[in-house]
Amino acid sequence: MKTPARVLVEQVRNIRESGRFAARSNALPTWCPGCGYFGIHQGLSDCIAELGLSLHDVVTVSGIGCAGRYAFFSSTYGLHMVHGRTLPTATGIKLANPRLTVFAIGGDGDGLAIGAAHFPHIARRNINVNYLLFDNSIYGLTKGQPSPTSPVGSKTKASPYGTLDSPLNATLMALTYGASFVARLFAGDPKGITKALIEGIKNPGFSIFHIYTSCVTFDKTFKTWTNLKKWVHPLPKGYDPTDMRKAFDEVLSDDFSMGIIYNRGEQL
Amino acid sequence: MSRQSFVIIGNGPAANQAAESLRSQGSEAKITMLSKDSFRGYLPHLLPDFISGSIGEESLYFRPHAYYKEKNIFLRLGQKAVGIDFSKRRIFLEHREVISFDGLIIATGGKPRIPEYYQLFEDLMLTLKTPQDAKLWISKLKSVDSILMLGGDLTSLSLTRALLKMGKTIQFIINEDSFWPIPYSEEIYKAVAQRLESKGVQVVHCNKIRRVTQIDENLIEVDTDTCSVRTGAIGAFFGLVPDVRFLVRSGLDIDRGILVDEFLKTRFEDVFAVGDCAQVYHPALRNYWVSIGYQNAATLGKIAASNLLGSDLEALVAPESILDVGGVKVNTSWWTEF
Amino acid sequence: MTEVDFTVEVCGMAGDGTIAVGGLINEAMSLGAFSVLGFDSYPAEIRGFGRCVTNSRIGSSEIVALGEQAHALISLNDEQSRSRVPFLAEDCMVFFDSAPPTKVTEDKSLLSVLPPGAQIFGIPFGNLAVSAAGSARGRNLTALGGFAAVCGISPDLFREVIGKKFGSKGDHIVSVNLKSFDAGYEYSKSVFANRLGNIFSDVESNAASPRVMLSGNQAIGMAAIDAGLKLYFGYPITPATPIMEYLAKYLPKQGGRVVQMEDEISSIAAVLGGFYAGARAMTATSGPGFALMTELITHGVMAEIPAVIIDAQRGGPSTGLPTKTEQSDLHAAVFGGPGDSARIVIAPTNVSECYYFVLKSFQLAEKYQTPVIILTDFFLDNRVENVVAPKASEEQKACSNVFPEESSKDNYQRYHYSSSGISPRAIPGMEGFNFTATGLEHTEKGIPDYSPETHSRMTEKRHQKLFSALVDLKEPEEFLSGDSLDVGVIGWGSTFGSIVEAVQRLRKSGFSVGALKISSIFPLHSEIIRKFMAKSTVVLIPELNYEGQLANLIGHLDSKPVERLNLVTGTPMPTSVIQERIYQLMEVLAQ
Repeated sequence: MKTPARVLVEQVRNIRESGRFAARSNALPTWCPGCGYFGIHQGLSDCIAELGLSLHDVVTVSGIGCAGRYAFFSSTYGLHMVHGRTLPTATGIKLANPRLTVFAIGGDGDGLAIGAAHFPHIARRNINVNYLLFDNSIYGLTKGQPSPTSPVGSKTKASPYGTLDSPLNATLMALTYGASFVARLFAGDPKGITKALIEGIKNPGFSIFHIYTSCVTFDKTFKTWTNLKKWVHPLPKGYDPTDMRKAFDEVLSDDFSMGIIYNRGEQL
Repeated sequence: MSRQSFVIIGNGPAANQAAESLRSQGSEAKITMLSKDSFRGYLPHLLPDFISGSIGEESLYFRPHAYYKEKNIFLRLGQKAVGIDFSKRRIFLEHREVISFDGLIIATGGKPRIPEYYQLFEDLMLTLKTPQDAKLWISKLKSVDSILMLGGDLTSLSLTRALLKMGKTIQFIINEDSFWPIPYSEEIYKAVAQRLESKGVQVVHCNKIRRVTQIDENLIEVDTDTCSVRTGAIGAFFGLVPDVRFLVRSGLDIDRGILVDEFLKTRFEDVFAVGDCAQVYHPALRNYWVSIGYQNAATLGKIAASNLLGSDLEALVAPESILDVGGVKVNTSWWTEF
Repeated sequence: MTEVDFTVEVCGMAGDGTIAVGGLINEAMSLGAFSVLGFDSYPAEIRGFGRCVTNSRIGSSEIVALGEQAHALISLNDEQSRSRVPFLAEDCMVFFDSAPPTKVTEDKSLLSVLPPGAQIFGIPFGNLAVSAAGSARGRNLTALGGFAAVCGISPDLFREVIGKKFGSKGDHIVSVNLKSFDAGYEYSKSVFANRLGNIFSDVESNAASPRVMLSGNQAIGMAAIDAGLKLYFGYPITPATPIMEYLAKYLPKQGGRVVQMEDEISSIAAVLGGFYAGARAMTATSGPGFALMTELITHGVMAEIPAVIIDAQRGGPSTGLPTKTEQSDLHAAVFGGPGDSARIVIAPTNVSECYYFVLKSFQLAEKYQTPVIILTDFFLDNRVENVVAPKASEEQKACSNVFPEESSKDNYQRYHYSSSGISPRAIPGMEGFNFTATGLEHTEKGIPDYSPETHSRMTEKRHQKLFSALVDLKEPEEFLSGDSLDVGVIGWGSTFGSIVEAVQRLRKSGFSVGALKISSIFPLHSEIIRKFMAKSTVVLIPELNYEGQLANLIGHLDSKPVERLNLVTGTPMPTSVIQERIYQLMEVLAQ
């Protein structure tokens, strides 16, 4: 008879054998329990396993912030950079050795505030880097300040009267910058992340994965699990990600449709 | 009002004295000296001594460049004036520069003159006006011992003296054209010939040179109407012509030189002419006289400078010191000094 | 055999072909086996036309500093050339257009401001060019011909370099230019027949080796190419841009890439990424860009990632004086950035060293796993010298990375302690050596750790590594020295040439002076510097900065205070100024 404990042991063994744990390092992630990043970690690790990438041929570059710690939790080669510079660093890595699969990982502060200058340029150079933008609309590691994607009126310790600035839309920015592959994903759907990553890695140019995620510690009002689960939904049936005009229409009309928004359809 | 600008054309004794006088009399004006020659101002009367080796080259030049810097005088060497517009007070230079002036002293001096009928042999004749000419003499004298002098002007006589000191053999053809601006006369001819012969110079009496032939590098044969002479080199000395050709159409009164009044003024306001290029009016003589020689030139330069600054000094020369030879008044006595 | 040390300037407006003439003089004299040091200056501003000046110092012995006084000026635009008059020797030869197309007023004329000793050579540049080649465009070559004739330089030297320079534009252009040159040459030969000199014709050549005319920036580019550079990342900034332009042309030919990044931060980030992934990568910038890079340079220090960074210094602070030379980034290069972030800083003093130092920098960066900063400056970057053709041996090109032993596989410690401080470095793609490099303090395995023990030991390790590097860094070099000195002069960078020349001159006059060249700014060979300071009664440190940045760095090595000579004129350090200062110091000593 299968006791719950046996079921768990069996599941763990299955996961081990499937190789889905291989891409995780021995270090235990320092993220808070319930953090959305665990889901992203699962999605990315599964993707590496499913594609059968050699871990020594993968480099994970991360910036500063909770997402920045990602490099330590991956068993690929890792480069934990300074704040905001994952994209140019990843550019250097990819150009140095095009055989490597390169993931750049950073939060919304890292990528859209301090590092925002690099986003358009890696897109227009179309460097074959896979950029996972963890967007929880808050600075978590510095304990809860508003980020470039926080909605107007966000109240934090650094904005006790509510923020005045409009939020950025990373998906829209990516489209505008001419990124050749743009996906909008949800941390609560690791399978969806894996699926999109597998498609995105095939793109021989710059791929951005804009991932909505939740900060369970510092965001009690906006991107909470409850809200996100309520808000997110798949792209409309029959959506054609190769049509850039439609992509713009979709992104301008809906902030929460998830999936591959745009794929220029380039082949290696 | 901007600073006044005085220009002196020339870099000889008269020009330099004029510049120095302008400064020493306290003028704050910009002073520019224009010289068509590219070498420093020199004392022409010392050239024979330089040739004979009794003075070094440096002694020829009267002022170091530092002097001009110190006096804030713009000495512009090797820059030739080719025309003057007196109404607009502008000087045109050969390199197409235009200079404006408030006051102008023309002291262009003279240049060696070779009579037209000798111009055919010009290439075989040495002249002596500049240090460059002197250097040519020096190099020639290294290989020749005999020299034929043509002419009879001041320079020829002092060079002859220098060459004699060097032990060279001198032959001399005194030419009727030798004494410009003094017309030829039998008296002068005789006086000069006698003086030359007394110093050991062989005077060749003839009327005309028919042919000059270069036999080799250091031997020239000269056929005259009376005889044939062989010599190592020929020197041509027919005086200096005022170097005023560029002013012929400028509106200035020019006879042989530029005509100026006893105050050294030309017919244009604030424009003066001095030295070998000028002919000066003498009120006592009621005629123009020509200055020759270094001292005269310097004195005139000084007077012109004073007058440009507002004085009314006359170029005072005792009438008795001016020779009246054939109607031309000359303040000189060169051959009596030889 | 006579000696020659001759400086010629060419001055004109942009479009006059000034720089071309200066370049031809340099090339021709180099071909004639003279030592040449040239320096051009022209405005950085794009707008409108500006003054161009080239300065070429030509010598029968090795030229190490810029000519201070020109012996000849070729004026292609008299109005512009007026500005050069203070820099002319008293008896300078001046070549000018004696038949300009329009009349010139005195306030725009060059001749009206020349010193009386100037020897002027009026040549109708334009007219001669028109009658010789049908166009006045060759007037710069006509001027050059006149200069060659008067100075007694063989016209064949010029004909050859004209052929080379214009060869790619076709035979017609070559022939037009040759005709213009010959017209000026022949004109001057006849018109100035009795004023022709033989400044160069009696001089014997000094150089046996094949020489090549290079600017500092070209030498840097060449070295990078020869070192097998794979990636160049940069952002345009004066005076470093020519390095990027050089590499943009030549790097793709050997399979490398030049990427013009969005700023200096991304440039250094990409360099770190490139080196991290095993490729030789480089960036070049100037002070303002360097300031932006400092955070990432310290990341390279902390994460032990190699990088090669050229800081082509210019006048500062901030945007400062983009087209002027200064040595004021020394503090920034050595100390700039957060934390105890020691890195290697080296400074070439001449064009040849620009090549060999950059070549070496890749090995230093790889072996010591740290950013290496090469400090040049506007003067050194832009001056040209005809140097003995630089060449890199296989040994000099070889990769110096210390790879981990196969035995450490699967138990690899990226930041393993060692007595030298050097830990073997794995490269992504190597199986079994996966690690994460980080800018956080970390354990030997690279795991973030802020414990007192780890930070103390790791900080020490990183500094130990730098001390280990001293064996591979060029030691300070004494010039014209002795057992004891009245005045010992210490210098670095482009200023050193002027120091050597000043010391040479004074030693000829019997003074007890010597010079010490410091090429390795950090780490320092302190003992050697200390000894030199100790044997000098007075120590003088001339620098092109206000604060005396090298003096601040080494002044403490000896108990007596150092004398400083600091200029921030934006121009190269004049030899005469150093000489004058040494005189003054000697006078004080004599009292």
